[in-house]
Amino acid sequence: MTEAATTAVNTLLAQTDSDIASYLEACVHCGECAEACHFYQATKDPKHTPTYKLQPLVKAYKRHKAPLRGVLSILGLTPPEVTEDELREWEPLVYDSCTMCGRCTLVCPMGIDIAGTIRKMREGYAAAGIVPEGLTRARENVERTSSPMGVTAKALLAQVKRQKAETGLEIPVDQDGVDYLAIFSSHEIMASPEIIGGYAKIFKKAGVTWTLSTAAYEATNVGVQIGFGPLARDLVKRIVDEAERLGVKYVIAPECGHAYGAIRWAGPNLIGRPFKFEVIHIVELLDKLRREGKIPPGKKDSRKMTLHDPCQLIRRGGVLKEPRRLLSDSASNFVEMKGAGIANLCCGGGGGVSANERAEELRLKAFEQKLKQIDDIGDIETIVIPCANCRGVFEDGLDEYESDYEVIGLGELVAETLRED
Amino acid sequence: MASYDVNGTAVEHDEEGYITNLSDWSKDLAQVIADAENIQMTDEHWAVVNFLREYYDEYQIAPAVRVLIKAIKKSMGPDVGNNKYMYELFPYGPAKQACKIAGLPKPTGCV
Repeated sequence: MTEAATTAVNTLLAQTDSDIASYLEACVHCGECAEACHFYQATKDPKHTPTYKLQPLVKAYKRHKAPLRGVLSILGLTPPEVTEDELREWEPLVYDSCTMCGRCTLVCPMGIDIAGTIRKMREGYAAAGIVPEGLTRARENVERTSSPMGVTAKALLAQVKRQKAETGLEIPVDQDGVDYLAIFSSHEIMASPEIIGGYAKIFKKAGVTWTLSTAAYEATNVGVQIGFGPLARDLVKRIVDEAERLGVKYVIAPECGHAYGAIRWAGPNLIGRPFKFEVIHIVELLDKLRREGKIPPGKKDSRKMTLHDPCQLIRRGGVLKEPRRLLSDSASNFVEMKGAGIANLCCGGGGGVSANERAEELRLKAFEQKLKQIDDIGDIETIVIPCANCRGVFEDGLDEYESDYEVIGLGELVAETLRED
Repeated sequence: MASYDVNGTAVEHDEEGYITNLSDWSKDLAQVIADAENIQMTDEHWAVVNFLREYYDEYQIAPAVRVLIKAIKKSMGPDVGNNKYMYELFPYGPAKQACKIAGLPKPTGCV
């Protein structure tokens, strides 16, 4: 075995706890997960069957950890050792052909969390250094600046200054004694910094005290995407340390799918203790403030709109009703697409896939089905997408298929349609 | 390591053609890189390259294509800041080629 293969197999086995072992034992090869996967649907190639993507892990488990393996090996019934060539052959299935969207998990009749198992499998790949180039570059930037794009505190402050000038509003930075700490994804900070001004407008109206922090501004977690637990933990800890130092009651997770899961669901497990604050998604917070009457809606936007369901927010995160209530308050012509809600199709670019150039062709192919869902509604003008990464994936896809739908964020829409005093 | 030849001086670049020492950049070098990329530099190309130099100066970020086009749209208007026009100028990817010519690192997107 090569060193990389040994490292990968040892890490895979270390990741195989009782949950993963029971998942691997439970699969009945029914194929439901294939039909659920947007990459299988787009290609009809059986190699995109979610459980097939797990094969190197299954083999390592059967050879080294499964019950009765001793007897089975005497009979020659255990699989051979996983090789580095095999791991490399599977790499595009593990990183390009899975967004960890969890649609396979949702439909599995045996209750196997296939998406979560891919996440564990990536630990073996990351440990062995078998990782797509785009994610490796993102990781290098994160280790230098905490941001996958290399956004520094200086860059954040430059954007804050511009937003202050554009809105004429105060944007607090590094302020203690406030209730909320807002964090953002790099893509928001650099591609749609207007959301920072949007927060200022909304929170002023609501009477909410908040701050940004130059020590913890980045919400994305490349450790989760790449599958490297220690890095995922460090990135969560950076936010936790700063939130607890500032003494805030809440950290606001931004419109970025995996960032929400990373801090809200994986976070306390990663650092091994509960937080001294609560994590609330911006969409949950806006909905709460609206129900409390603190941010009443003004004149509704009349464009014909639909809502995309970001997987990590809706399916994996459970924030299902809030975006719909907010949209109904803010737009007079909001129409759902067929298949909307908990089981909606992924955009094709989550889970690190959008940062992986090698995956581009497959991602665009998967997006075609997303586009069809929207085309089928008819006469849509605007797609509201509460995830900055999904928005980027949509913009790429819409350009590719020469479609001219407008793409906007939900916070942006709420800020624009707020009732003026 | 491979290098560009700028009036007899060697300027090192990585395997994809991005210069390794960002302070080596000059307008003459930009012209040499553009030649290697088969790009005929016009005023329109220079406007994007100069924008990127200023952008990098302010943010220390080599912007990926979506971020670049939005930033250009904001600063130079929608006639320049759109996908079609930018791909006409830099057919092998506006972010990648323009960053290379502007002497920036290879751009990275969000995750």
